[in-house]
Amino acid sequence: MIKFKLNGQYVSVDVPEDTPLLWVLRDELKLTGTKFSCGIGECGACTVHVGGQSTRSCITPVSSVIEAEVVTIEGLDPQGQHPVQEAWRDIQVPQCGYCQSGQIMQAACLLKTYPDPTDEQIDGVMAGNLCRCMTYLRIRKAIKQAAAAAREETPSHG
Amino acid sequence: MKKRIFLAGIAGAGLLGGLGFLAYAWHPAIADITPPAASSFSAEQVERGRIVAAEGYCAECHTRTDLGGGPEFAGDYQMKTPFGAIYTSNITPDPQTGIGKWSEEAFRRAMHRGISRDGGNLIPAFPYDHFTKMTDQDISDLYAYMMTRPAVHLTHRPNELPFPLNIRLLQAGWKLLFFKQGVYQPDPTHDALWNRGAYLAEGVAHCGSCHTPRNLMGAEKSGSTYDGAVVDGWIAPPLNANNPTPTTWNEDELYAYLRNGVAPLHGSAGGPMSPVPHRFLSTVPEEDVHAIAHYFAFVDNAAVRAKHDKDALALAMNQSSVDLTHPVVDPDAKLYQGACAGCHYNSAPTPASGRPELALNNALWLDEPTNLYQAILRGFTAEEGQAGVVMPSFYNALSDKDMARLAAYLRRTRTTLPPWTDLEKKAAAARATVETIPVNSSH
Amino acid sequence: MGKLERIAMQQDRADGLKATRRSFLLTSAGSAFLFGFARKASASQIYPIADGAPESGAFEPTIWSSVSPDGQININIIRAEMGQHVGTALARIMADEMEADWSKVQITQVDTDPKWGLMVTGGSWSVWMTWDLFRQVGAAARTVLLEEGAKLLGVSPAQCIARKGQIIAGNKSISYGDIVQKAHPTRTFTPEEMAKLPLKPVSKQSLIGKDVKALDIPAKTTGQAIYGIDATLEGMVYARPKLPPTRYGSRVLSVDESDAKKVKGYERYIVIEDPSDTVPGWVVVIASSYPAAIRATDALKVTWAPGKTASVSEQDIIDYGRKQIADKNGGVYVFNDPGTDKAFSSASKVFEQTYTCASVMHYTMEPMNALARLHDGKWEVHCGNQWQSLFLPVIAKALSVPEKEVVMCSYLLGGGFGRRLNGDYAVAAALISKALSGKAVKLILTRSDDMQFDSFRSPSVQTLRAALNDQKAVTSWQHHASAGWPTKVMAPAFMEKGVDGKPYDQFAIAGADNWYDVGPMQVRALSNDLAEATFRPGWLRSVSAGWTSWAYEAFMDELAHDAGKDPLEFRLEHLRATGRNAGSAPNAVGGAERQANVLRRLAEKCGYGKTNLPADTALGIATTFGQERNMPTWTAGAVQVHVDRKTGVVTCQKIWLVLDAGTIVDPDGAAAQTEGGALWGLSMALFESTKIVNGNPQAHNLDNYTPIRIADAPEIDIEFIKSTEKPTGLGEPGVTAIGAAIANAVFNAVGVRLRHQPIRPADVLAGLQAKTAG
Ligand code: FES
Ligand code: FES
Repeated sequence: MIKFKLNGQYVSVDVPEDTPLLWVLRDELKLTGTKFSCGIGECGACTVHVGGQSTRSCITPVSSVIEAEVVTIEGLDPQGQHPVQEAWRDIQVPQCGYCQSGQIMQAACLLKTYPDPTDEQIDGVMAGNLCRCMTYLRIRKAIKQAAAAAREETPSHG
Repeated sequence: MKKRIFLAGIAGAGLLGGLGFLAYAWHPAIADITPPAASSFSAEQVERGRIVAAEGYCAECHTRTDLGGGPEFAGDYQMKTPFGAIYTSNITPDPQTGIGKWSEEAFRRAMHRGISRDGGNLIPAFPYDHFTKMTDQDISDLYAYMMTRPAVHLTHRPNELPFPLNIRLLQAGWKLLFFKQGVYQPDPTHDALWNRGAYLAEGVAHCGSCHTPRNLMGAEKSGSTYDGAVVDGWIAPPLNANNPTPTTWNEDELYAYLRNGVAPLHGSAGGPMSPVPHRFLSTVPEEDVHAIAHYFAFVDNAAVRAKHDKDALALAMNQSSVDLTHPVVDPDAKLYQGACAGCHYNSAPTPASGRPELALNNALWLDEPTNLYQAILRGFTAEEGQAGVVMPSFYNALSDKDMARLAAYLRRTRTTLPPWTDLEKKAAAARATVETIPVNSSH
Repeated sequence: MGKLERIAMQQDRADGLKATRRSFLLTSAGSAFLFGFARKASASQIYPIADGAPESGAFEPTIWSSVSPDGQININIIRAEMGQHVGTALARIMADEMEADWSKVQITQVDTDPKWGLMVTGGSWSVWMTWDLFRQVGAAARTVLLEEGAKLLGVSPAQCIARKGQIIAGNKSISYGDIVQKAHPTRTFTPEEMAKLPLKPVSKQSLIGKDVKALDIPAKTTGQAIYGIDATLEGMVYARPKLPPTRYGSRVLSVDESDAKKVKGYERYIVIEDPSDTVPGWVVVIASSYPAAIRATDALKVTWAPGKTASVSEQDIIDYGRKQIADKNGGVYVFNDPGTDKAFSSASKVFEQTYTCASVMHYTMEPMNALARLHDGKWEVHCGNQWQSLFLPVIAKALSVPEKEVVMCSYLLGGGFGRRLNGDYAVAAALISKALSGKAVKLILTRSDDMQFDSFRSPSVQTLRAALNDQKAVTSWQHHASAGWPTKVMAPAFMEKGVDGKPYDQFAIAGADNWYDVGPMQVRALSNDLAEATFRPGWLRSVSAGWTSWAYEAFMDELAHDAGKDPLEFRLEHLRATGRNAGSAPNAVGGAERQANVLRRLAEKCGYGKTNLPADTALGIATTFGQERNMPTWTAGAVQVHVDRKTGVVTCQKIWLVLDAGTIVDPDGAAAQTEGGALWGLSMALFESTKIVNGNPQAHNLDNYTPIRIADAPEIDIEFIKSTEKPTGLGEPGVTAIGAAIANAVFNAVGVRLRHQPIRPADVLAGLQAKTAG
């Protein structure tokens, strides 16, 4: 049994140690918001947070996250109202939407490091998240809007 | 830190076999005792012993990790050598299979002189060349700690060394040539903190075991102390002024690294180094870790070298982002963007926590891409590196060619050093050191 | 008749249906029964909707919509949702006409059923082909509700108006829900009646052209949206293919499963028998989890006797195309205007250039997958797909069962871009389930499988020739294009007929039939059968217009420079709304004049002709009509590029686009599609391509396939011309102008003319060197 914290609660799964976290989330724990795309850590569709840091779950063995804290798109905010999610809806970022769980998770992590990100910081941190519908311009815009909203919520960060 | 291969030394010892030598090599057994009751040790002493054990990482080599793992200190840890595996001994107080019948005197003789209770010589994989420097008090505390551990009945698997390497008597030859017995003597030209650090580093913490290159006989090369060496397919980097990272390993960086496994301007502890902070040095008094850091800041001449740090940092930060934030057509840079930048991108002036800056990392500045490859192939578990955070394993994600492209790209864009050679071949070699494929991903 | 209607007719014929389909569609009785919700639970899986289907007692004037007693309005969508927010766009057309309260509107992505007619989503057609129908359906619903509402209010219909889900007469009003509850309306309409219903004037439209939040977006921000790959069924097993060395003709010689058996979770392998020849040579691994399937497939050893194309390369295909073009015979003429030959033979000069484009992969973010089983006597195939009407019959054929025993269940698509017009993966899943006696099995292709098995965009060769007179004026024009033909391979019945009556693939030439007035024209399409034998050519976003426009718009620039004319002026001179290019109602009112108009507006916006740009930096322009003459979206694009002479790297710094797509139904969605399209065009022009090596695409994942990433995306300025004409498509036109504009800009920046797409740094460097040497 492999145990870790998922969206705030401990879960245990009985799978081989080398099982990618992605498939544990999707198939064992039925959280399908995290997506499979390249399978080699180069598109970001499978991004989750481990220990608060964005992480490619497709190539992370589940044994690596023993006792760690994993957060998926379903757990980013209990109501789905994380500032990044709000901005994403407001700017109408998603097209097909398949990459967007990963984009949102990566962006949420970005804002922790860079609460007032420049275009360069956005491009640098979001570089690993491919969007085949090419929603890049809106992603940039939405991240800035989310950053502004988050700063308003917590003025100490401003 | 562990599994260092002593084979050359063992072989050398074999050559020295001879009758006259036998006389030197012979030691008497020390009589059995009835295992002392746990209550015969004070709680304070046991706690002091725990700290000593942690500072010596005893559990790391005396606990089985294959076959689903084993009980702590019960030995049977497999050290691979090209000639066959050797297995560590059980150091729990089990009377038959452990050290339950060892008196404190026998224990001290083993630590100080590398001699088993029965009089046989210990294989120098057991770093008594360092433990000899420990004070009697520390050894006594350690004894108290070990004798109060749960006794585990477990016989280690027989060593697989072929004749004559398996003759313990012959280890004495090695000893004759390379072993200098004696407790650490403080250096009066330095203060107490420095001396405490030196005592720990040279003694119980046995840093040189991994970080000093060995001669053909497997002994630490005199005159090359802390020049760096290869351990378990990783490079244990130089701890002296030869360390190539662009910013200096100063006392603060060393402390952060040894205590938490992450140095903001260098990166995090991986591979065989990972347990040092995470499993051990995070559990000992922080003054001891400060002392070790203080000592190595002296060893690597940080005070003098640090004046370049500001420029080095600025250069690194510039290199970190320059080719990521504008349209990129270089396929190698694209590969880096996709696979690495999401986590490793940093923006001036300093790297953010949780975003290890590769332009500052040992892995890119060492003479070989070894550590870079190991990190890419194995990744870091939540336990390793920065605690709670993971790096995925790119074992199945990147081919040898891809890894070679990344290594070449990083070396040319993020260091000022000459390119590495034979990158694809070395990638394959590094891959071959990974026994259990970390993750079953698709490609 | 538009192309789509023709296709619909053809398919009706293929289905043995009469031309009465439309009346069938529109006269189904409104009743208390759910109608058109074959699979309530899974349909609402797509976007979690509070209450998926209308309650009993709903009023259904047609199969397309219903009004529940609680006022909830459901609109059935047969088009695949793959990022265009198509449901929102279409629902809004109906809701606007119906005067619905938008907050009460929900959409249902339906499963296949013959009653829906042609189920295809592509070609940027959706809004254009649904526009008339959904307005009429909306008007029908409104008419009934108004009549019944008037009765309930005790006034005459003439005294009532419909507004936001209510029928209002003076200060009295009643909601649609209450009307349905109290009056139980059941009236239905014949198409003739529907056609006579009054439609709202443009000035009264309240949803069309306004910004409305897309209904599919919220679920896509919380992980709740369900794509094909997310579908699960109790007890299902997983499958991954072991792909044969050639797309066709590979025969399995032996299979060794000894290593695969060591993988925990491995169950068995299957050698697929496929009567439809869609997935020949496939061996499939079945396992209890997908990671086990991945590893066991790697471990399974299969030996094949490869098909004939095992050593074909990209260059072979290009060379073959060149040979075809050089041969005067062969191919199909789309235009063959009298006088062309004469004009060429009497020309004082013939200007000729050849353009090539590399293979381009779809790389949808969601790899191909499908879940199939036999359930209650029906074969269910759960997946996202763009052309169910084409592939359901193929699935039936593969399974050797009647079509009525197959249903394709709809899910969101994690990207379409034309890849999922081809349903080969769905066929495979059905066959695997059949081999397992109907057990539920989920087939997922890993990325490398997905790329090897892609129906990618064929490499192409095009030669353009212009006959010039003494004044260097163009007197005649020829465009010859050779490429693999997707429609020929996958849907031959839908090919168009050329002027000589021979079938050709309109999706392998459209675009070349351009709106320039350049004298008599010949446009000849050549089917590259070497390409077709080697792989399954696919429709890829902007289909042929993605490469035909690259050629003819670069050629226009070259002609202009050759004649010493300004490329903008030169184009405008040739965009004359006369003859064939005068345009026609309803789709192309205004003709070439509207294309000239977008081009003029573009020139104003981008500051065409400005002289203060830094060194090696320049603008380039191009103009297209989207992708089809029958449904033109008038498009003009400009780019500003910088060329680094040292590295050969071309950087696109800004993109401007001006489009006239008639009425813009969904302005924000239109902008989103155009942004995506423009960047797709940029990606193909500078970043992505692969080549065929040993019969397979060389690229197998992102380590050697490099679509643009966020840092590569420049600023984009988009303007839509205000119009009340019939809306045309916007999914792809944004793509079409970019490639040529970049090639033209590179020429303007450093004087190097590049005729191969993508433009790679090495090509630029070689061009610069040749220039210095020459
Ligand atoms: S699926 Fe994990 S990074 Fe692409
Ligand atoms: S929205 Fe479709 S891939 Fe990003």
